[in-house]
Parts: sequence; C-alpha cells; structure tokens
Amino acid sequence: MAMVKRMTRRKVIQAAAVAAGGLIAGPFLRQAGAAAAVKPEGKMTLAWHTNIAPRWLDPGQHDGTATPDNFLNALHDGLIKNYKKELYDHLALADQFEFAEDATSATFRLRENVHFHDGSPVTPEDVKWSYENYRGAWAGVLKERTDRTVILDKRTVRMHFKSPFLDFPRLIGTSNVCGAGWVVPAKYFQKVGKDRFVQKPIGAGPYKLVSQEPGVRLDFEAFDGYYAPVHIKNFTILSVPEAATRLAMLDREEADIIYYITGDLVPKAMKDPKLMLAPVVSGNWWLEFPGFMDPKSPFHDKRVRQAISLAIDRDAMNQAECAGLGRVDGNWINDDVEYGMGWPKWPHDVARARKLMAEAGYPNGFTYDWLTPAPPYYSRGERIIADLQKIGIRGRMQSMERGVYNARRQAGLKAWPGTNIILVGARIGATWANWYESLFKCGGRLGADAICVKSLDEKFQKYSSSTKPAERKQLAEEIQREILENYYFVPVFRHAFMNGIGPRIAAKEWQDVFPTALTTGYAYPWEEIKLKSSL
Amino acid sequence: MTRFILRRTLYALVTLFILSLTIFTVIRMTGDPVTLLAEPGARTEDLDRIRADWGLDRPWPVQYLVFARNVFTGDLGTSFNYQMPVSSLYFQRLPKSLELAAAATLISVLLGIPAGLIAAVRVNSAWDNFGKVIALFGLAVPGFWLGLVLILVFSVWLRWLPTSGSGSWRHLIMPALALGWYFAASLLRLTRSSMLEVMRSEYIKLARLKGLPGYAVIAIHAFKNALIPVLTLAGINLVIMINAGVIIEVIFAWPGIGRLLYEGIFQRDFPLVQGIVMLAGVMIVVINLMIDMLYACIDPRIRLAR
Repeated sequence: MAMVKRMTRRKVIQAAAVAAGGLIAGPFLRQAGAAAAVKPEGKMTLAWHTNIAPRWLDPGQHDGTATPDNFLNALHDGLIKNYKKELYDHLALADQFEFAEDATSATFRLRENVHFHDGSPVTPEDVKWSYENYRGAWAGVLKERTDRTVILDKRTVRMHFKSPFLDFPRLIGTSNVCGAGWVVPAKYFQKVGKDRFVQKPIGAGPYKLVSQEPGVRLDFEAFDGYYAPVHIKNFTILSVPEAATRLAMLDREEADIIYYITGDLVPKAMKDPKLMLAPVVSGNWWLEFPGFMDPKSPFHDKRVRQAISLAIDRDAMNQAECAGLGRVDGNWINDDVEYGMGWPKWPHDVARARKLMAEAGYPNGFTYDWLTPAPPYYSRGERIIADLQKIGIRGRMQSMERGVYNARRQAGLKAWPGTNIILVGARIGATWANWYESLFKCGGRLGADAICVKSLDEKFQKYSSSTKPAERKQLAEEIQREILENYYFVPVFRHAFMNGIGPRIAAKEWQDVFPTALTTGYAYPWEEIKLKSSL
Repeated sequence: MTRFILRRTLYALVTLFILSLTIFTVIRMTGDPVTLLAEPGARTEDLDRIRADWGLDRPWPVQYLVFARNVFTGDLGTSFNYQMPVSSLYFQRLPKSLELAAAATLISVLLGIPAGLIAAVRVNSAWDNFGKVIALFGLAVPGFWLGLVLILVFSVWLRWLPTSGSGSWRHLIMPALALGWYFAASLLRLTRSSMLEVMRSEYIKLARLKGLPGYAVIAIHAFKNALIPVLTLAGINLVIMINAGVIIEVIFAWPGIGRLLYEGIFQRDFPLVQGIVMLAGVMIVVINLMIDMLYACIDPRIRLAR
C-alpha cells in the first residue's frame, strides 16, 4: 500500500477516481476533461538553432535527447506527457491512465473521437504498434521489461511488465526522454515505410505538417480535430544556424521565437526593449573522464579529479556564457527531477588544486589528448581548457557536430582513444534514474563502457528492483553522493538556455511561452501560445 | 580536332576517377558510420544488419566498385540524416544555389570588370589605386564578416532587406553581394592585368598608329581580347559559387547546396558528402572541358600546340 500512497500523494491525482478490483487495484488513475473551441488565427515563426533532422518527426526514432521533443510537441501527441509542472502524467491522448499497485501493468484508455491529421481515428492498435515498434534510445529497456501489450477494448490498451517497473510512467510520459508513448498511425506508417514517414509524417498533435524542405523549413497548420484549442493558425519552423542572424530576425519580427542566443549576444538582446529574453535555467554541465577506471589514466587518481574541480571558475563560466543567469550549484543531475539532490556550490581554489596535483604525482601537470564539449557549445570547452592550464593540465579542443558527438558517446571507450575529457550537457526529465541509467551506468546508452563503477551499478540495480519509496530515495541519494564525493563526474554549472520572444507573441513574462524548465527547455505547449493580435 | 577532344575527354575521365577515389577513401577514414545510421536503441545484431544492408561489411575495393557503378547510373545513395536519396536532395537545393550563384556572378562581373578596366586604362592614377584598395579589401575581408555587417546595416538598422531565408529578390541581395564580393575583387585584378598586357601588345600600338580614337582601341581591340581569361574565370567562379557558398548560405540561412554540404560534413553523412563533391567535381571538369574545346575552336594554335 506504500506504493499507492506514494503515487496518489500528487495533487494532480487527488481529483482522480480510483479504479476497482482485478489486477489493477487503481492506485493511480487520471481522467481528462474537454476542450473549449477557439478559432486559430495568424502566423508564428520559430527560428531553430541547428539544422532540422527529419528523424525528429518520428517518435519511434527518439534519440533520448531533449531535441526531438520540440517537434513532437507540435506534430504528435503522447498518451500521457510532461506538461508545465506535471512531470510526466498529464493526460493527453489518453483520458484515463491507471498504473497497477504492484507496478506490473499500465493501462491507457484513449479519449473518445481522437483523430490523426488524415482523419483516421487513433486506435488501441496504433498505440500497441507505436509502443512495440519504438526503436529509440529506451527501446532496449522497454523490450526487456515488457511482457506483452494487450488491447482490452476499442479504447483501452494495457502493457504488462515482467517485473515491477516503477519508472515506467516517468519514462513513457517524458517527451525529452522516450517516444514510445507517442502514437503514430500504424497503417500509414507500415504503408509508406520509415523513410517516407519522416518526409510526410502524420500525427495526432495540435499542428499538422503542410510542407517540408528537408533540413531547412517546416510549415504547419493548426489541426482542427485536436482535442484542445489551438490558437495560432500557421506555424513555421526555420533552421537558422547563425545566432546573430536569429537575433536580427527577432528584432525585425521575421521570427517570433528564437532559440539559443549565444553569450556574446545576450547583452544586445537585453538592451532591446521590444524583445523578451527567456533564460530557461535548463541543462546541467559537467566533466567526464572516459576510462578513468583504468589505473594508467591520469584521471584514475581522485586527487586529480578533485584538482580539476577546484581549478574551474564556475562563476566566470556562468557570467560569460549566460550573462550570469545560469546557476552554479553542485549536482550534475537537475534537482527538479524525482530524487534529484541539491548540492552546495563547489569551491574555486587554484592553489589547493596545484597542491593536490603535486600530491598525485603531477607537480608539472600532464597533457591529455582532447577536450570535447557538447556541440555547439565550443566556447565553454575553451574556458575549461584555459582553467585546466592554470594547474598544468594541457590539452586541445576537438569540436564535432551533435550527431557525431552522440554517436561517439554511444560507441563507448573505443570512440575515445587516448586521454580524453568530455564536457557534457544534458537535460533529462522526470527522474534521477533516467540520468543515471543513460549517462553513468556501465553499458548505459551514453555512458556505454566509458564509465563503469560496479559498486554503484549494483546499488542502482537494487534501486530499480525496489518497490519501497523510502529505500529507493535512500539508494538514489547514496549513489548521487558517492558520484559527487569521488568526483567521478565534475559538475560545472547549470546553464541558462537563452531564448528570445518577439513583440507579436502575447506574453506578460517569458514563462508564458517557456512555462518551466522542469519538463522542457523549449517553447511549448504550442497550441496554447497566442499572438497579441488575436487577443 | 577530334584527337584533341578525345584526349581532353580522357583527361577529364581520369580526373573524375581520381576525385571519386579520393572522396571515397577520405570519407571512410573518418570512422565507422554505422553508429550514425543506427537508431539509438540498436543492438549489436542491428548494427551488423545495417552494416550488411549498406554493404559496409564488404572490402573497400568492392564498396568502391559498387559506388562507382551507382554513380554511373545516377544513384548517389541515400542520405543517413535525411533518409532520402542524395540526388533528390541535391536537385531540390540546386535551383537555390544556381539563383544565388547567378546573382553573385552578376554582381562580381558588374563590379569587377568595369573597375578593372578603369584601373588598367588609368594605370597608376587615383582610379587605379582605388581599384587596388577595393581588390585588396575584397580578397581580405571574410565573407562571413561581410555578411553579418550587411545584416546589421541593411536589415537591423535601415530595415530595407530581410535578414535571411529565400523567396524573393530582396532575400537575394545581401547573400549575393557577400558571396560575389570576393569574386568581384579577383575579377578586378584579372581584368586589370589582362588589359595591361593587351594594351602593351603590338596590334594595339598599330591600332593607335592608325589613328583610331582611344575608346575604339580600348573597346573594340583591347577589351575584347582581354576579356577571354576574365570570362573563363567568371565561368569557373560560377561553378565554385554554386557548390561552395557554404559560409554565406549558413549565415543567411540560404537553402542551397553549400549548406547541405556543411550539414553533411558535420553529420558525417558520407553518401551526402560523396554525392555533392562528386557532382561538384563533374560540374567543374565538364565546364573546363567545354572551355578547352571552345578555346580550341576559337584559336587553332591551342589544339596544335597540345
């Protein structure tokens, strides 16, 4: 029953009815309401900061990073999803969601009369097919833990798990983590195939795709069959890789929302009274040392890793990169996810760092091969290189495109020959376990074999199989504490993802467009964003 | 003439063969692309299947032969990133690159040739010095800087032109100017030196001795002859601009081939990079072949000398 309590204590669930009997005792049940009618008007343009990869239009290919959810939130819809302060369990295509008391099954009931953009109904068959054919970052975990998916009636689907799967709702309901709960039309997908689907995707989201110039431009139109009101008629996403161009577009009202204003442009954006700066305190940044477990690695010595932490001027980084609007706190995991811990600010003490280096046998420092920052944040890598040089740790920076970088991270140690430091940035939703599982766990999606601390993985295994909230919390905090105290990862700062809102958008404060960093750093929900002219 | 054409065609084919081999080898040296092809949840057996599907498990010579055969049949492969045929992507973007390159060529010709002509006719004068400064400025100023300055002045301050994108002639002006500026400077220098060389030749002296007016000597006798290398360069510049306007296309979010190449390189999308570089190579080789043939038609000494 402790499980029931933990699940039902959330305010959002308090109003929900409780299901009765059977395997699902109904500890977790939510039901959705109806939407009011609104006539969509006007046009909104988003200037996107990299190229647009068509695979982001297919939830089945969700790569587990924050990027695709910008597109999923417009084109597709999930059964349940993150929404403002609801981390993962906002009812979307499902009007009822039940999670069994023993965490061995999850049942979704679809809303009545929900349709895809081509007019076909969203059916349990589509839900089952989308779930079973999801090929993204968490496919391995879901396949391993799902026993079967059963269609119960014309609106209801149930997933049965092989063992208690407490993290399932958080996993499936977080759009910047997993796309398995985002429903695509099964028949259409099978008819056109994977490659054709990303050229002409059909979803059940608030906006339908009208045209696509691959990599360059997406034109959407409000979907009049969406169950919630959509306020703006036409929505265009343009790929504009150059930050200065994006800012000029916002200034000239060629774009209404822009992402990623670089540190050097922030003062200019702040001076412009027409523009609203949206400093979304978002992803965390930290240093990783692939293969530090090897005694031959200079990073094997805890004192070296601690010296690196002491050498980093985090305040200067925050000031230069985010105009001081980021946060210099201690953990590498965002503290706004389940069991994410706060941690005090790390000290900056170069003299002590040098002393530690000498004690570790490196009085004159050493040379590493590469420091690789997460693209395209290369200036952050240069700052770390400069900080490390002060204690004699010398190396060069290598820059790579995001796709290449992600592929190398997934490939593990063999993709990082020599001595490497990686400056990683990530924002993962819902639970601390998503961070650990993909980034730290040996064999995890991004950690691969680059990070392997057996004792912590064993604790994580215990955490995963536990159904006792108190024990899970204790284990989660123990693991995080050990990572931090041993400097396995060296946290740097939590950055402010600097975005801009133009004068045509109806927003009293930037949070009206970027509601919270808890669930996504991008603008959303797209259907709720309004133009001043339509008010 | 036939032998000359055959010989030239053979040279062109050899060049293309070397080019294709170089691209093929260099791109494969950058690492295993399978991790990029695979979906994030892929297992080892999935990676092996992808490797087999794409023929990446075969020896390099076999892969090259397949690649060469496909190129001959017009199949440039499928882009990893875009999940669509490279040729479709290329020909979707080509009209935009042609539009930009044509406008930039026009600007470079309109600026470079008259300025070069004036500099040569008024050699060592203030006009000439001004031309030299312009040429130096054009060659020294990076296109991306000029592009950003143009956006600042004409879009942000004056609000005359749109910052980026494509769709109307107003979108074209700034990227064409930023791209054409460098080539205008090179045309200016070549026009000037070519004109000076022609002006020193015997037939120009004869024309002057015959008492022809100065403008007639310059316009009819000197300029026409000096123009041959200049137009050759302008033609080659056009091909380069179609395929290599990378930075300008990125700055102005212009959806052309240069930007496609940039994305392909950064995504290690090697069918895309291979395809674009091959097509650019074919374009340059064919243009050069045509120029050689035209030269041979116009001037018999060229085909006899070679």
